[in-house]
Amino acid sequence: MISFKRVGLVAKRDFLVTISSKGFLFGVLVMPFIMAALMFMIPKLMQRSGAQVAVEVALIDQSRAVTEALRQELAPAALTARVVASTRAVTEQLGPAGAKVAATTALVQPPVAFRLRELAADATVDAEKRWLTEEGKQVRERRALVVVPEGAVTRAGNGAYGTYELYAPKSLPQDAASTLHSAVRQALVATRLRATGIDPALVISATRVESARTIEVYADGTQQRAGLNVVLPFVMGILLFMGVMTGGQALMTSTVEEKSSRVVEVLLAAVSPLELMWGKLLGQLGIGLVTMGVYVLLGLLALLQFAALGAIDPLLILYLFVFFLMAYLVYGALLQMIGAAVNQIADAQSLQSPIIILLLLPYMLTFVIGNQPDAPLAVIMSFIPPVNAFAMMARLASSSPPPFWQVLLSMLASLVAAWVTVWFAAKVFRVGLLMHGKPPNLATLFKWARMG
Amino acid sequence: MDTALALRGVDKSFGTQRAVAGLDLIIPKGETCGVIGPSGAGKSTAIRILMSILFPDAGMVEVLGHRSALDAKDRIGYLPEERGVYRKMRVGAFLGYLAGLKGMSEQLAMKRARELLHHLGLEDVEKKKCEDLSKGMLQRVQFVGCIVHQPELLILDEPFSGLDPVSVRLLKEVIAAERRRGTTILFSTHVMAQAEELCDRVVMIHKGRKVLDEPIAKLKRQYDTSRVLFEPLDPQPGDAEVLRGLPGVATVTARDGEYELRLAAGTDPTVVIREAAGRVLPARVEIARVRLEDMFVGIVKGETGGESEETLRQHLQGLTAGEAK
Repeated sequence: MISFKRVGLVAKRDFLVTISSKGFLFGVLVMPFIMAALMFMIPKLMQRSGAQVAVEVALIDQSRAVTEALRQELAPAALTARVVASTRAVTEQLGPAGAKVAATTALVQPPVAFRLRELAADATVDAEKRWLTEEGKQVRERRALVVVPEGAVTRAGNGAYGTYELYAPKSLPQDAASTLHSAVRQALVATRLRATGIDPALVISATRVESARTIEVYADGTQQRAGLNVVLPFVMGILLFMGVMTGGQALMTSTVEEKSSRVVEVLLAAVSPLELMWGKLLGQLGIGLVTMGVYVLLGLLALLQFAALGAIDPLLILYLFVFFLMAYLVYGALLQMIGAAVNQIADAQSLQSPIIILLLLPYMLTFVIGNQPDAPLAVIMSFIPPVNAFAMMARLASSSPPPFWQVLLSMLASLVAAWVTVWFAAKVFRVGLLMHGKPPNLATLFKWARMG
Repeated sequence: MDTALALRGVDKSFGTQRAVAGLDLIIPKGETCGVIGPSGAGKSTAIRILMSILFPDAGMVEVLGHRSALDAKDRIGYLPEERGVYRKMRVGAFLGYLAGLKGMSEQLAMKRARELLHHLGLEDVEKKKCEDLSKGMLQRVQFVGCIVHQPELLILDEPFSGLDPVSVRLLKEVIAAERRRGTTILFSTHVMAQAEELCDRVVMIHKGRKVLDEPIAKLKRQYDTSRVLFEPLDPQPGDAEVLRGLPGVATVTARDGEYELRLAAGTDPTVVIREAAGRVLPARVEIARVRLEDMFVGIVKGETGGESEETLRQHLQGLTAGEAK
């Protein structure tokens, strides 16, 4: 008969010892805060003017037509507008929050500033190339040379336009070069259009369509989803993985320690192996919950920062904790079993690799499942423990959540698997706890389960 | 008389090795029983079966009226041979945790723990971490952990092994106090003298079998007529030489101010005593009592398999540590 009081005492001790250990405090609590602090610090650091690169661009405009257009394209306002536009393309997925992110980039100083030096149209290219590699100057003063031939703005007999040439020493930063390239291209396009009598501004506005997001329509009315669906399944996978790994690893380590310090026989005089096992399993469950809770809280704070808290369905967080419990019980019991079967952490690490793979694989698949939540792979995986917790969470967080009966069935599968694993692990636990000597293999574990 | 614990026909094998074979053991309440035998005799296995840490292949276990020690854990104090502590835990917290698992309230547990630590000369260790204590101190702490909840039954597996003399003395005092309190005590040892000193009854185990089970009082009434103990009234340097020269005396060993005369086979002790008393004035002359060690060696002679009698005797006197199995 299991005494809940003893299970509680064991759980309490394990929880308190782990949570107050330096390793846990640093790895689980301090690290995310450092990461979060960095995330807020980096944009501020980027705004500092010291980071800006100044480039002097020499221009030989043989066409005598693009100079003005290029000068406009290299102006700071035009550069910033291009940065904002490209950021918006990336963050569009995030919905309103994404727009806010894109807007913040407008405040950031463009990483490159250009100074245009116009040369005579008949200047010799070779002489200017020597200026580029001038002794001792090419590193400190970034330099580039753009040559626009006549053919770049007027059509040849076959109707095709020619192109420009850009010369630069190796020391020119990559982002400066690519910014310069796109500015020259824009200037050429504008000049060519103007030459044919078309207003470039008209072309720009005529060819741009603001991308819209899909508005999902339901039988009971319309609902617009916030658009976190692409990253959310993956984030759920990470959270599950972090929680299960932290709790499970601590569980395995503390079990091995109790064995190697021989304190276990003293404990077995006071608690039954099953009570000890449940107590430790629950104690480290608390550790997993705290870990995951910290990350969930940080995630919510980040969303709050971008005023996108509404993007998360509170029910999803509830599901996350439910499926965490299911996943933890199975993986935790397996890791604890390994802890009970060996005497040193080194032996445990080699035995646990199949379990870690079993944990990593579904976590990595969450991205795929989130994109295609109704594909056969996703549906089948939702019912196969222990990977079902990851598959289900990815689907629940996706744009097409599974029907409720599937969620229930998946939970049921998890419960059955958890019960079987804990039972099996308890058998190995009770035999393995007092076994010393060489670490067992899988066959031995099964033998112990029969003996236990 | 009520039975505190009983093993009936217990068998246990590990692979092909038979650790315990058909062991019967009944200990009445209030008795102190010593289980003796060399390392590897099956003492620890028998004790683990009693504690339901191992399960027997065959046979029955009864502990404090239950079929398993699991049902009476709170009333048992167990000190395993391989005893560990949580190295990072403070002594007070560790003892409180153990007592809590045994169902004792924290307040009462700490009061008892403080008393016992005081008795064992460990007044100021309560706030220290276990890893900061010396080995001897740690062993005393572990002993406190085993009796802090005032058990009715104490099971001690090799409680004195590896202890320094001061700790041994302190531990013996506490065991004696527990005995006066009426606690049933079962302890195992490979050192015969400890069993003779502390027990009401001695059970000898050899190769998993019980080879002797007698009250110590009865054993003490058995005399060995091949050995004479002789204590001179006025010891002189030449005494040993004189005694060795007597007819029928094979060897003379000096020990604690007395001589032990081992007689040649077939020698009449009355003759030797008379002769000896005639040469050296005795303060005391007596026929030696049977020693457990001799009894054990006599029983297992011929089946120790490669182990010489000398090695076995040294082991039983606690002179060699011996690797426990």
